Amino acid sequence: MSADFQVKINKKPTRIISLSPTATEILFAIGASKQVLAVDDNSNFPLNVPKSQLSGFTPNVEAIVALKPDLVVLQIDSAKSKSVRDSLTKLGIPVVMEKSASKISDTYNEIELLGKVTDKSSTAKTLTTSMKKRITKILSESAKKEKYRFFHELDNTLYSATSKTFIGNVYKDFGLINVADAASSTDSAGYPQLSAEYLIKSNPQIIFLADAQYGETSATVKARQGWQGIEAVLNSKIVELPADIPSRWGPRIVDFYEIVAKAIK
Amino acid sequence: MKTEIQQLKPVWRWQVNAVFALALIVVSVIAISIGPVNLNFNGIISTMLGRSSLLTDQERILLLEIRLPRVALAALVGAALATSGAVYQTVFRNPLADPYLLGAAAGAGLGATIAITNSGKSFSVVLPIFAFLGGVLAVLATFLVAGKFYTDPSSLLLSGIAVGSFATAVQTYLQQKNSAVLRPVYSWILGELTVADWESVKWAAIYIIFALGVLIRISKLLDGLMLSDEEAFSLGISPNKIRMIAVGAATLATATAVSVSGLIGFVGIVVPHIVRGITKKATNRALLSISLFGATFLVLADLGARTLIAPAELPIGVITAFIGAPFFLFILKAKRGRAQ
Amino acid sequence: MIKVENLSVSYSDKYVLNSITLEIPDGSWTCIVGPNGAGKTTFLMALLGMNPYSGSIKFNGKEVFKDMHRNVAFVPQRPQIPLGMTVREYVGLGRSKIDGWGRERKIGRALIYQTLEETQLIGLQNQLVTQISGGELQRVLIARAIVQEPEIMLLDEPTSALDLHHQITTLNQIELLKNKGVTIVSTMHDITLGAMYAERIIVMQNGKVLLDGGAAEVVHSNELKSAFDHGISVHTLKDGHTVITANKVRNELI
Repeated sequence: MSADFQVKINKKPTRIISLSPTATEILFAIGASKQVLAVDDNSNFPLNVPKSQLSGFTPNVEAIVALKPDLVVLQIDSAKSKSVRDSLTKLGIPVVMEKSASKISDTYNEIELLGKVTDKSSTAKTLTTSMKKRITKILSESAKKEKYRFFHELDNTLYSATSKTFIGNVYKDFGLINVADAASSTDSAGYPQLSAEYLIKSNPQIIFLADAQYGETSATVKARQGWQGIEAVLNSKIVELPADIPSRWGPRIVDFYEIVAKAIK
Repeated sequence: MKTEIQQLKPVWRWQVNAVFALALIVVSVIAISIGPVNLNFNGIISTMLGRSSLLTDQERILLLEIRLPRVALAALVGAALATSGAVYQTVFRNPLADPYLLGAAAGAGLGATIAITNSGKSFSVVLPIFAFLGGVLAVLATFLVAGKFYTDPSSLLLSGIAVGSFATAVQTYLQQKNSAVLRPVYSWILGELTVADWESVKWAAIYIIFALGVLIRISKLLDGLMLSDEEAFSLGISPNKIRMIAVGAATLATATAVSVSGLIGFVGIVVPHIVRGITKKATNRALLSISLFGATFLVLADLGARTLIAPAELPIGVITAFIGAPFFLFILKAKRGRAQ
Repeated sequence: MIKVENLSVSYSDKYVLNSITLEIPDGSWTCIVGPNGAGKTTFLMALLGMNPYSGSIKFNGKEVFKDMHRNVAFVPQRPQIPLGMTVREYVGLGRSKIDGWGRERKIGRALIYQTLEETQLIGLQNQLVTQISGGELQRVLIARAIVQEPEIMLLDEPTSALDLHHQITTLNQIELLKNKGVTIVSTMHDITLGAMYAERIIVMQNGKVLLDGGAAEVVHSNELKSAFDHGISVHTLKDGHTVITANKVRNELI
């Protein structure tokens, strides 16, 4: 959490508005569900969240205020987030600014912070401990001498994520080699676009499709021109990832570790 | 023997300006009364008039610190864009000129992209400054590129296209290298008045009112720019000097508007034509009314932006395009009809 | 009085006006004639102060007028006509820099009205300038110059685009102004017509003054014939009028 954004809370919040799908998952996982008033239009897990029409990307101050919350969780990356926060603070509503995680420790920090904020510190601690344990177990069970090369596909124009991104760090924990790292200088945020030529040359042994939710499948990848010689295609090591899990940094990231472990078995 | 002095009516009557001013006031009151939070109308009026309010503290803050600056900003930006557009249409003798000619838009966009790319999460502070500088520097570059032909409108236009294209290319390159800025830059380009505070309103007001004041003061002389340079000169209007002042003031107004609100299109082209269509006058004495109507137009558009798909917000550039495009066709048809 | 001394204007090493020296007294009508490219229009532009020149131009002893538009009005040969302007607004442009606010503007408007009446343009006042005839446009241009209340009026080819009827009307109108004391300097192609109205004719050729004198004197001079390569004949009619014709003879008409 950035030191710039201190928040002062006087009493336990019971009308929380979460404008971040990840924060929503965390709040429900630590047992604060009864304290959540409304969540943004992209929050979809767990299934019974009080979804509203509020936007997490372009927050509307008045619409938020109209619901009379006593705490708002806001993504730093949303539009004009600082101004939104300032306006809400002026109106007497405390705001928790959520930073996008870049490594797993950020996730634990956020869980603990939200636990403190909702007076559910003990359940939060239990959650982080169990997550750490599960992840350690998964990593030790899948430790391999051989380091596989992999390609994490964001869309069919071959945008990928390097090891400096959150998802890239998960793969790094397994010791996998990310073929996108060679292009890391082309995008400061860590999402370079690779060329088909380079990809074929780098010959990944596993391909993870984060765009499976948009229709990319093992079959469509195999049909791509020139891709037939790639090891991942020859050995049918193409993993269709479920939606949301790889793009959030909440409790379900453990499920993602399991998916990766299964893929490299 | 003293005969009665025969009189003509003035070319532009002050009553017309008064009507437009009244329209602006009415629309503004409506705009600050509507929003997701329901505020008692009497409470609004009494708070505005400074009396001890019928609203709760939180409601007062909402009205005065959130709604009112937003409406004020919309009015200022609308006035700036409409007036600049009208002035550019005169200077370049082109009814399709808009305030973003001469590379101002591309320059501001580049400035904004640089600000967002380099200042991490705190770009909201420096963004307006960079966008403003970008707009102004681009126009200066346009003049430099035009070289000794800087007084010729069509040379300026061509050089503006060159400068604008270059700025856009650089901006695209920067965006490519920094994908995290894509969404902020995109939403800025669409135009946003989503969060306005009194600080930005204050600065915008100072620059915009000054620039518009200059333009309205010389509005009579701008009519001379519609004649040939010799004719203007013989009437006592120095065409190059007036063109420079006009372009300078219009650029100042445009750059300020863009720096606080992003690129909002159509206002600069359409509003002057609407006012000229309603009043049936081509003279530049219409500038004050054009300012007032531009303000009214954008306040209305902003009202639509925050209510049509509430609680989400439509980018204001989408609204101005939806209103602007049909109006434009309508005016075009009317002009053709009259010419026949 | 306009005093011009050694006036020269050049464009890229070529002299368009070459060391012109002359004096124009107040209230006179001077007509400048000569072939295209002789420098007639450039001379008017120099008097207006539009282009850089060497030498000196003095109006009543002063080198440069600060508010020249109050004293010198210009009627162009090829005006740029803005779209959407009415005759009344167009004529009113003459007052752009003269009228301030309040009472001054009322006086200005009264003057515009009066001028429109005198030039028979009242009926056209709400017509678009783009929709009036050539003859009417000439009247409008002169009206615009009149509302400036000038002491000097410069007219560039005021009759060249008009038919004979309108040529005469226009020249009569200019004569009215001269009789009120306005100094007139006009350029014309047609020497015959010019000589009928102006009391002084200046013939220019290649940027220099070829002839300068009273109308009758110039018209009958030998130099005039040489300026046209002896291609002209000067005839004096029984009633005293002088007519200048080209020398070409058509056989059937003899």
